[in-house]
Amino acid sequence: MHLKQSLIIAVTLVIISVTAWELFWRSQGVYPTLDDNEALWANQRARVEKATNNDILLMGSSRVLFDMQLDQWQEQTGIRPIQLASVGSSPLPIFHDVVENTKFNGTILVGVTPGLFFSTTNPDAQPWQWPQSKVDFYKKRTYAQMSNHLLSIPLQKNLAFISEDQGVDGVKLKELLGKISIGNRVVDSMPPFHAFGEIALDRNLKMKQITVTDTAYANSVIKVWRFFMKAAASGPPPDKASTMAFFLKDLKKFKARGGQVILVRCPSSGSLRFGENMGVPRANFWDDLVKQSHVKAYHFEDYESFKNLKCPEESHLSGKDAAYFTTEIVKIMKADGALSNSKNN
Amino acid sequence: MLFNSLSFVVFLVIVLALYYSKLFNWTSKKRMLLFASYVFYGLWNPPLVILLWISTMVDWVAGKKLAVEDNQKRRKLWLMLSMFVNLGFLAFFKYRDFLLDNFTTVVNTYGYGYQTQPMDIILPMGISFYTFQTMSYTIDMYLRRTERAKTFLDFALYVTFFPQLVAGPIVRAQDLISQFYEEKRATVNQFIWGIFLLTLGLFQKVVMADTLLSDAVDTVYGSDKILNFWDAWMGTLAFSGQIFFDFAGYSTCAIGIALMLGIILPDNFKYPYGSLGFSDLWKRWHITLSSWLRDYLYIPLGGNKHGVVRMYAALMITMLLGGLWHGAAWTFIVWGGLHGSYLILERLQRQYLPFKITKWNGMFLAFTTFTCVNITWVFFRAKEFKTAWNMITSMFYLNPEGEKVLTSFDILKVGMVIGLLFICHWFMRNTSVEAVSKRLSPIVLAVVWAVMFFLVVISQGSGEQFIYFQF
Repeated sequence: MHLKQSLIIAVTLVIISVTAWELFWRSQGVYPTLDDNEALWANQRARVEKATNNDILLMGSSRVLFDMQLDQWQEQTGIRPIQLASVGSSPLPIFHDVVENTKFNGTILVGVTPGLFFSTTNPDAQPWQWPQSKVDFYKKRTYAQMSNHLLSIPLQKNLAFISEDQGVDGVKLKELLGKISIGNRVVDSMPPFHAFGEIALDRNLKMKQITVTDTAYANSVIKVWRFFMKAAASGPPPDKASTMAFFLKDLKKFKARGGQVILVRCPSSGSLRFGENMGVPRANFWDDLVKQSHVKAYHFEDYESFKNLKCPEESHLSGKDAAYFTTEIVKIMKADGALSNSKNN
Repeated sequence: MLFNSLSFVVFLVIVLALYYSKLFNWTSKKRMLLFASYVFYGLWNPPLVILLWISTMVDWVAGKKLAVEDNQKRRKLWLMLSMFVNLGFLAFFKYRDFLLDNFTTVVNTYGYGYQTQPMDIILPMGISFYTFQTMSYTIDMYLRRTERAKTFLDFALYVTFFPQLVAGPIVRAQDLISQFYEEKRATVNQFIWGIFLLTLGLFQKVVMADTLLSDAVDTVYGSDKILNFWDAWMGTLAFSGQIFFDFAGYSTCAIGIALMLGIILPDNFKYPYGSLGFSDLWKRWHITLSSWLRDYLYIPLGGNKHGVVRMYAALMITMLLGGLWHGAAWTFIVWGGLHGSYLILERLQRQYLPFKITKWNGMFLAFTTFTCVNITWVFFRAKEFKTAWNMITSMFYLNPEGEKVLTSFDILKVGMVIGLLFICHWFMRNTSVEAVSKRLSPIVLAVVWAVMFFLVVISQGSGEQFIYFQF
């Protein structure tokens, strides 16, 4: 065997093919991005262990991720919040984890997306399972997993084809094969779902500009929200009683040790807002939550300055609007004395 | 640490750099390898390295005593100590909840209303592998089949050698410890072939098991519905491929990595899906475990030396315990029981209905063996009997209206991969990758190698755990 010769040829071919693969995806408009995976979340969760009562934790669903911009928050308060929100998730498992497993007694902003917050306490349901899997990962993560993530960051930042994106935006072999469709043996009615945000190492997330500039792209995301709304309408109704009870119990414990909670209802618009009003009307859900929680609470519809905000895909703000929303809502909170722990106060 | 992870790439580069540097003499290199092996294991869960230390200490002391002790009673006591500690670890960490559950079920059938709380203790990675490996040393010392390890360092490295620590191959003392006595350096060809085997192993794991087959398996076995004939079969066939590529991939990586250090590890798989019958299968599938079970269980139980009934009983007990070795659940015991039954039926056939295997009936026999093996995989993969039974009824077309969960492309993909796997095993059954590679031109080998590596890179394994780690 001429193994040395084979090795040299193989290495050359690999370098050529991997370079060509990277260039191909860049020519298709794919660029390097970080993955919003469990490891990235766990790094922020680890910061909570050393957080003081001056610190602020952000929890909730993707609306908190998109709409609360860490730079603007820091500008206004001098404190950079710890972003723990999780897409498609109820905030309850993560809030429960912080209350039960840490000594944190600063401020927690809880984003209330009613369809998720009041959805369920069933551990097998997606709005619970997704955030709980992040909490479990953090508890059980190994040193090997930590170092794998650390080593993967430079690759994620520099190579477009290194991506954990799934579905229509996926570029790894499994996702590419998943796009091949023959016949209609099993009908998948879920519309193609783009990854329309970009996340940073501290989990500050911004909407991709294409969502703002390309209506067809934004409409494809809206179709997904409509798919979920339709699925929710035919599924079990919101479990207000158990979700409220679960949250209020943790809230009581958190307040007892000096912690402070702020509830925020981030903007939504168009048919999604209409659907939310039908399925989880404000009076029955948000207002009742605020009444029973006895904490500061801010609903976007209560402020003139937010009336003209329009979400490009009906559920999240563009980067520019998110910066505005964050700045303004922090000002409102400060004026209201809700951020009494922040350094600037 | 997983072979298919970035940390391992960095780890291996550092280990190789230190191993081939002129900084250390051979003893220091072995110390470095031992330390690296503890790091390899400890990066998963540092406190559980203590179990490795205990197992190493106990078996080192037991081996030392067995080497000098002539009193048969005392020799037996030292052997029992080793067995007690190693099997005790397994009982506590792996079988505790299973035993407790069954105990609870039994006492509750008599109306005691006994309640237990699962202890939810973590299963130390690879515990079934390293305990079996160290036990083989003390048993061989007891039977005077092997020499005592010359130094504690050699023995500790034998127990902990990182390439095969968590998922085998399970290596016998005489095959590995003696390799540590003299300085080992891989030749250039050995080193390059080691890299090739590492690439091949990663290709099997990352591309074949995780990328091409795992989703179909998870979809089928994760479904709570009664499935269609095609879905049940394709999910099961996909699992037969997934578990082979996953485990054989690990073994191939381990053999390749060891070879890069100049250490030879035994083969663990020899194209098992090309087997002509079940005795042949167990000479080709997880060879180091099946030979362990043969030497330390089947033969001590009587083997074929005490008549037919005793032989069948020994065979069945061995396979049932072999099933239990894989996991603490009745489904694994049934898996072992089915293999035990197949082996007994095969022996009966050989006795009463012998026939000559030709190249014409051989492929049919291999296909029949593969089909029967697939039926056993149902019990191995299903989490509970209900799922297994639903799958079996669907596979035998007893649920004609069953749910479809796989797309046409999934069926085509699994069909092609498993079809090629079977054909490849059939044609490779009497040869090896090395022999085939020697016949290839260097350019063809390079292209095959590059394609495998490229596919590994674009599959970007997200560090999915090897299935056999849980055993």
